[in-house]
Amino acid sequence: MRKPLSAVTLAISAAFLLTSCGQGDTAAEGDGSAEAGTLVVYTNSNSEGRGEWLQAEAAEAGFDIEIVGAGGADATNKLIAEKNNPIADVVYGLNNVYYEQLKKEDVLEPYTPEWSGEVDESLADPAEDKAYWPLVQQAIVLAYNADTMSADEAPKDWPELWTEDEYKDRYERVTGMGAATTQLVMAGILSRHRDDSGELGVSEEGWSQIEQYFNNGVPAVKDLDLFARFAEGEVDLGQMPSSSIPGREEAYDVTSGAVAPEIGVPYAIEQVAVVKGTDQQEQAQEFIDWFGSAEVQGAWAQEFNSLPVNESALEQAKPEVIEFDEQFTHQDIDWTFVEENLAGWVEKIELEYMQ
Amino acid sequence: MTGSTRRMLRSPAVIITMTVLVWFIAAFLLWPNANLLIQTFFPDGQFSGRAVEKLLSSERAMTSLANSFLLAVALAITVNAVGIFIVLVTEYFHIRGARVLWLGYATTFIYGGIVLAAGYKFIYGADGIVTKFLAGFFPDMDRSWFEGFFAVLAVMTFATTTNHMLFLGSAIRNVDYQTVEAARNLGASPWTILRRVVLPTLKPTIFAVTILSFLTGLGALSAPQVLGGQDFETITPMILTFANSTTSRDLAALLALVLGVATIAMLSVMTRLERGGTYHSVAKVAAPLQKQPIGHRGANIAVHVAAYLLFLIYVFPLALVVLYSFMDSAAISTGVLTLDRFTLDNYVRVLSQQSALKPFIVSIVYSALAAIISVGGLLFVTRLMLKYRGWLMSGLEYLLHIPWILPAAMIALGLLITYDRPNPLVGGFVLSGTVVILLIAFVIVKVPFTLRMLKAAFSSVNGSMEEAAAIMGAGTLYTFRRILLPAVLPAAAAVAALNFNNLLDDYDTAVFLAHPLYQPLGLQIKANTDGGASVEAIGNTFVYTVLLMLVMGTVMYLVYGRLNRTRRSPRARRVPLQPVGGSAGTPNTDMPGTATVDGTSSARVP
Repeated sequence: MRKPLSAVTLAISAAFLLTSCGQGDTAAEGDGSAEAGTLVVYTNSNSEGRGEWLQAEAAEAGFDIEIVGAGGADATNKLIAEKNNPIADVVYGLNNVYYEQLKKEDVLEPYTPEWSGEVDESLADPAEDKAYWPLVQQAIVLAYNADTMSADEAPKDWPELWTEDEYKDRYERVTGMGAATTQLVMAGILSRHRDDSGELGVSEEGWSQIEQYFNNGVPAVKDLDLFARFAEGEVDLGQMPSSSIPGREEAYDVTSGAVAPEIGVPYAIEQVAVVKGTDQQEQAQEFIDWFGSAEVQGAWAQEFNSLPVNESALEQAKPEVIEFDEQFTHQDIDWTFVEENLAGWVEKIELEYMQ
Repeated sequence: MTGSTRRMLRSPAVIITMTVLVWFIAAFLLWPNANLLIQTFFPDGQFSGRAVEKLLSSERAMTSLANSFLLAVALAITVNAVGIFIVLVTEYFHIRGARVLWLGYATTFIYGGIVLAAGYKFIYGADGIVTKFLAGFFPDMDRSWFEGFFAVLAVMTFATTTNHMLFLGSAIRNVDYQTVEAARNLGASPWTILRRVVLPTLKPTIFAVTILSFLTGLGALSAPQVLGGQDFETITPMILTFANSTTSRDLAALLALVLGVATIAMLSVMTRLERGGTYHSVAKVAAPLQKQPIGHRGANIAVHVAAYLLFLIYVFPLALVVLYSFMDSAAISTGVLTLDRFTLDNYVRVLSQQSALKPFIVSIVYSALAAIISVGGLLFVTRLMLKYRGWLMSGLEYLLHIPWILPAAMIALGLLITYDRPNPLVGGFVLSGTVVILLIAFVIVKVPFTLRMLKAAFSSVNGSMEEAAAIMGAGTLYTFRRILLPAVLPAAAAVAALNFNNLLDDYDTAVFLAHPLYQPLGLQIKANTDGGASVEAIGNTFVYTVLLMLVMGTVMYLVYGRLNRTRRSPRARRVPLQPVGGSAGTPNTDMPGTATVDGTSSARVP
């Protein structure tokens, strides 16, 4: 009987070799998240030292976090793609459009943080059972290099970039649709040309604007900062979220201005939420309580020139940041319309206009 | 049912192995790819032409497709031109310093893929060391001169001559010298001999490597991504763009299918042509080839100059990467190269900072696991295949070759869209978002090569030993364990080592499947090539490159250096050379030409 027995042993070991990957890796995964208690935080708001700062501050407060940074849309897609087996525990920094998408895809776990009373509830999840809550808001603006262009010389609104010859080769145009800022800029332009009988709810004129945006302009270089290109004189104009401006002015030693169109600018209201299916729900909630608190948001505002939604934190925001923000009006955008069409818009732009 | 199949199913061990094998094939080779088809054309159970329509009406997609085919055709020509030339100067003509030249050309064995593309960018790119240096003399020069179609073609040409060195090199060594002498005695000029005697015998090999080059160009990912710039986009990077968005995945799947169909078509053309009569001139007593002097003085000088120029092209970027890995950050950013800037800081940083070292470790762990699993798992399977030949086994064997005919991007995408939800095939688990999925993909792409190599290893075991064992009463397993396994173990270890090398700098599979917290080296290197990467990141990449070359070089030496020393017989090469590096979209081209090419390989696709 020796023969079949040892045969079985060998077959099992062969089978084990084929499948052992499973066991080995579950253990490895455990090291990363569950056992060590590390919170995995997805965000698009980790650049310019934000991620490092948050990680250090969180560690002091007793949270062991690991930050995975990606563009706003990329992070959203990632969360949706992983929804059946989420890696992230917390997601912050995306704007309400993406959170709405995430909610529709059932990626978020409703939670009301301790500081919910300190923020304007109308900026949070509109649903009864609120899943996401606002942290900061910022204007998405068209920035220009004030060292080479005076306020009078600067355009008054986005479309001038591709209609006026003087700007046609001076603005940086995007080369990917993964960033939240980019999608808001596009939404800001397309929303102006809403036409329910048009393709994806936008009139032909609207699409022609986008086409011209991509036909002109200087292509962006991946990860090369707009302000670095200002400094080099490669371009003079480009999109920028307002909170990123002061830090970059300093880093690249340029002065910039921002275009304040009459129609207003899109605002990104950046939120925070717990990811559904996290194995550390309690800790994720505690982290959100801590991160959104007036104290941390105030420090964050000091450090990164943000405009907190938390009212007591707003008092700690820099006066120049508040002043800067006051020059803009909120563009009237139907966000439901945007949410419904954004994926289609992005796909169409990728396929037809992007070069 | 044939006799052997029936006999086979009597043993429980065999049945278990077969079950696991069938499960593996169904779950990882068949269903994901079938599901990809279904998701593309029947997203909700109904036929949908959406993806086709969208892509057909997209100028960008059509341009990318055209670019991919353009690159494929151009690459087939340029790689052949360069590849044949380097093989001739190292193996056929009498060239001074041929050994040194060979070493220079052979750098692509350990330096390719994303690592090579990154290296070229750091040196010739808009902010590259050489570009900065040149701009000092010609301030008006176009700094992004090394970008677009030309740059991609150049880099891929010099990165993928590996196949020529392997296959054509070995083919030309096997040319019977008597035929050359005979031609000369009949009054043929050296040029005529080369054209009418030598090259025709190489034709099948040249044909096989041409197809490989074509497929390499077709599925290229990292070179167009890193060096293509705005104006030269190809299919695989587009697949990646659309694969990320759940709503546009059908577009990615369709593009992957286009690649897959083109690949299968090319491969079947190749097998068809191969079957249609290959001419072999194999003498009973083949005389070894002797190197031919180039009689014409002018031609001789020209060939020498060209050979050394090519040598410089191959070695220069690599030498700079190695040298700059020892320079401090300031020197790297300004392009200075002096002894007093010498520092080990970059090495210290990579080896001591956890964040810098981690990608390297992750890659090593993944590659090692995948190498061991693929070889370990297939050892017993291969044995069964050889023992019980029959319709069932040969059917399964064909199925195990699926990863050969599909582009890596398609395999990855199939896994991604199939296992991002609970699936009974894998016990109801969700695989996406785990660290396992990339490991599975790594194992999958290594299956065909491993199977083929192990089969060769088992076949070469002296059958009488097995018979003797059986006569003396040893059981199947005992024979396997005590007779067969020890005999094939060296070959199996070599195959595992090659698999390890091949996966170490993978980018093309990882970019689709890697876990965000456990990113392998290829992804890190790619990230470091992006515009805003810090000087330190560039320094890290140089160190990664050097470390990778050290590891791969060592593995290569252990596998071949020792083999070649002990056995110089014509039958020597039991484990053929297999260059490292992932293959973007290309089938894992360790495949071709059974009759003509006794080795297998995969081109290192940058």
